Amino acid sequence: MEKGFTMDQAMQEAARCLLCHDAPCACGCPAGTEPDRFIRKLRLRNLKCAARVIKENNVLGGVCAVVCPTCTLCAQGCTAAGLDRPIRIGEIQRFLVEWAWQTGFSPLRALPPDGRRIAIIGAGPAGLTCAAELARAGCKAVVFERQPEPGGMLRYGIPAHRMSVEFLGRELRDVTDLGVEIRCGTPMETSADIDRLLAEEKFDALFLATGAWGSLALDVPHRDSEDVYDALSFLMLAKTAPDGFAARVKGKVVAVIGGGDSAMDAAVAARRSGALDVYLLYRRSFSEMPGDPVEKQQAIAAGIHFVILSQPTDYVIENGRLAGIKLVRTRLDAPDASGRRRPVRMAGTEHELQADLAVEALGLQPPPAADAFGLPTDAQHRIVVRDAAGNTGRSMVLAGGDAVRGSSIVARAVHDGKMAARSILEELARRTGGTAPAVIDAPADRR
Amino acid sequence: MGKLNDLSIEFCGLTLENPVLLSSSPVSNTGEMVGRAFDAGFGGVVYKTIGKGAFEIIHPAPRMAGYDYEGKKLVGLQNVEQISDRPMEDNLKDLRYLKKNWPKKLVIASIMGFSRDEWRELAIATQDSGADMLELNFSCPHMAIEGSGMKVGQAFGLLKEYTEIVKRHATIPVMAKMTPNITDINEPAMFAKQGGADAIAAINTVSGLVGIGLDDFAPRPNVFGVGAASGYSGPAVKPIGLRCIAQMAGNPALGLPLSGIGGIETWVDVVEFLLCGASTVQITTGVIHYGYRIVEDILEGLSDYLDEKGFTSLGQIVGKALPRIVTPDRFDHARQGIASYDLDRCVGCGQCRIVCHDAGGQCLSWDKDRRRPVMDETKCLACMICSFVCPVAHPPMIAFKEVSNKPAVRPPAMG
Repeated sequence: MEKGFTMDQAMQEAARCLLCHDAPCACGCPAGTEPDRFIRKLRLRNLKCAARVIKENNVLGGVCAVVCPTCTLCAQGCTAAGLDRPIRIGEIQRFLVEWAWQTGFSPLRALPPDGRRIAIIGAGPAGLTCAAELARAGCKAVVFERQPEPGGMLRYGIPAHRMSVEFLGRELRDVTDLGVEIRCGTPMETSADIDRLLAEEKFDALFLATGAWGSLALDVPHRDSEDVYDALSFLMLAKTAPDGFAARVKGKVVAVIGGGDSAMDAAVAARRSGALDVYLLYRRSFSEMPGDPVEKQQAIAAGIHFVILSQPTDYVIENGRLAGIKLVRTRLDAPDASGRRRPVRMAGTEHELQADLAVEALGLQPPPAADAFGLPTDAQHRIVVRDAAGNTGRSMVLAGGDAVRGSSIVARAVHDGKMAARSILEELARRTGGTAPAVIDAPADRR
Repeated sequence: MGKLNDLSIEFCGLTLENPVLLSSSPVSNTGEMVGRAFDAGFGGVVYKTIGKGAFEIIHPAPRMAGYDYEGKKLVGLQNVEQISDRPMEDNLKDLRYLKKNWPKKLVIASIMGFSRDEWRELAIATQDSGADMLELNFSCPHMAIEGSGMKVGQAFGLLKEYTEIVKRHATIPVMAKMTPNITDINEPAMFAKQGGADAIAAINTVSGLVGIGLDDFAPRPNVFGVGAASGYSGPAVKPIGLRCIAQMAGNPALGLPLSGIGGIETWVDVVEFLLCGASTVQITTGVIHYGYRIVEDILEGLSDYLDEKGFTSLGQIVGKALPRIVTPDRFDHARQGIASYDLDRCVGCGQCRIVCHDAGGQCLSWDKDRRRPVMDETKCLACMICSFVCPVAHPPMIAFKEVSNKPAVRPPAMG
């Protein structure tokens, strides 16, 4: 993981900020981050409140600062770009969160537990955000997590070179310090589990945030080999067993298929662990790759061989081991439904790339098992919700994050967690005839 | 340095290679240091103030503190430095060394006596060691010894008396260095003139407090738990130095050559001091920030400025701004104008709108879709604060424009 800004760097960058009226950066974040406010506070040496603005809005503000594709969100409309380049908002945000950690300043406080109990399934960004918001409002939030450690995709899907386990662990402490209880190794998978939590364990509400852990596979005649990975399994191996991962890729030729962030992550992780050559195979052009431009540049810098306008048509498997990948060149035709130009195979350009390992990074969606919750799902196993808060139609059961959206960015999961928490608090308050405490949105006088 | 125009200038009957001098301070502390400054291009030195040595001079530690602004280092500098702590003999040797090895450079000895006898003895000793001129230090704002430094500069009778004593024994020109920590710079300057001074140097540092520690409650520099109001210098005080020079240059009764001091770092600063009437300038904080090398850029800039404006010598620009430095009662209030916007170059930050709304004439509204300010010219006060915060400069996106027959703008009352 790269080093963050020093105080001097952060102040210098804040001094570049134009402190806009009606700041465009504040309109770009799905999680509702207001960079204009925390940058101004830093500029005016109001560091504690700068950190508070970040964390009150988003308990995972550190993680988001590191993994968010800021150049397509908050920094997209940055007016400083009109002078030279956008403000490095993510780096400033990370600095402020780390500054709070280093100085022992805890911006968040939880109200004393008042007896309300909420169950959350999945300790990823949506679930943890929801849990933290509820804990701040005085609820007991219990998060059930199937994996041995909390964090979801943040822990298992993001390689260490982008975010260290220590960094994530420190941010998770901000969540547990609020009184959130995380029970790892406790999978909740069926409607019976939901029934039990609500009826027997007497949780007042339940938020499903089980994520999108199902990998899309390449549709080719031959792919049955231990040398063919999906990107998530590949990255999980790198994160949970770095030594085993290094032994697996060292000196090998690795072909990663896809052009998104997971493809970049898998390719760079392989290269950093000693892979001889890493190819990134993509059937459209460089500019159409959906990956964060910064990640793409870092993959280039890491020495990844970008093979664009090339479509895999099959694996060459000999005695169960991968020998190569069959490819065909493509050209770009008219735009398809995604708005990007459609790749068309060029006859007579069939060829083969020698490879020892293949990694498919073709996208993620909820696994078919997600249908077992007994809630309505669509063809991609995404839970269908009725409103922006994530109400599912079953009373006091809400859902959000990748389980609803399919694979998306962390900031949207944070948004969903906040919306669900607010809805739960409002509904519980309505039932008891009170009003929900206004801790979720920053108080008006701070705006 | 490339081939430069002739930058020589007359000062107190002496011809200087160029008007840029080191001022009396840590940057002119030894012969070895000053020699390197001469090689870098400085036209002369006011050597670190020499005392007789009757009292032991001990510098406090630490002795300086920087004043930073939004990550910009050393906008100002605070110091509690004393006069030279070296034996007088060592300093005299260094004066001889400098004149022997750099005969064309101007060597001015700064002196400070703690009695009438000391002023006389120092004048004779430094003159005999080859100094071209004397500068009388009446202005150090933090001398630890009573009856010295700024205390003299504020007691005009004493200032005049010490000047007279030095003049009685000096055959070389004598310059008195003024403190700005008085009401009217012309008062002590006139007393110095009456004492026989041949030139005035100004300003010494402004008495200030650069900051207080929030944890230790002690001023900066924190000298083991305490600090003192002391000398503040650097770019932040340049406007004060420039004003003092202009006031003295604009005083026909004074009529003495002036050496300008205060926050000079660039050739632009030097030109401004010359335009206000100085014919030499002195630099310390700029060297503390960047080293002697800054003189290269100053001399090159001066040379190109002469070419650009068609002057053949720096003497031609001395005092050139003085006819235009007036009192506000002489302004032409009949002529008014507005802030004029080149919106094609606007980046859309809206800072202009914020400051106009909160500190100006409320003449800007905000086009949210286009992210551009929209001006009601009838409300514009022409205060120009919008242009100060506008990030689009060189040339400025917002500029003053005269509007004929524009009435003065006065905001309406509420209710």
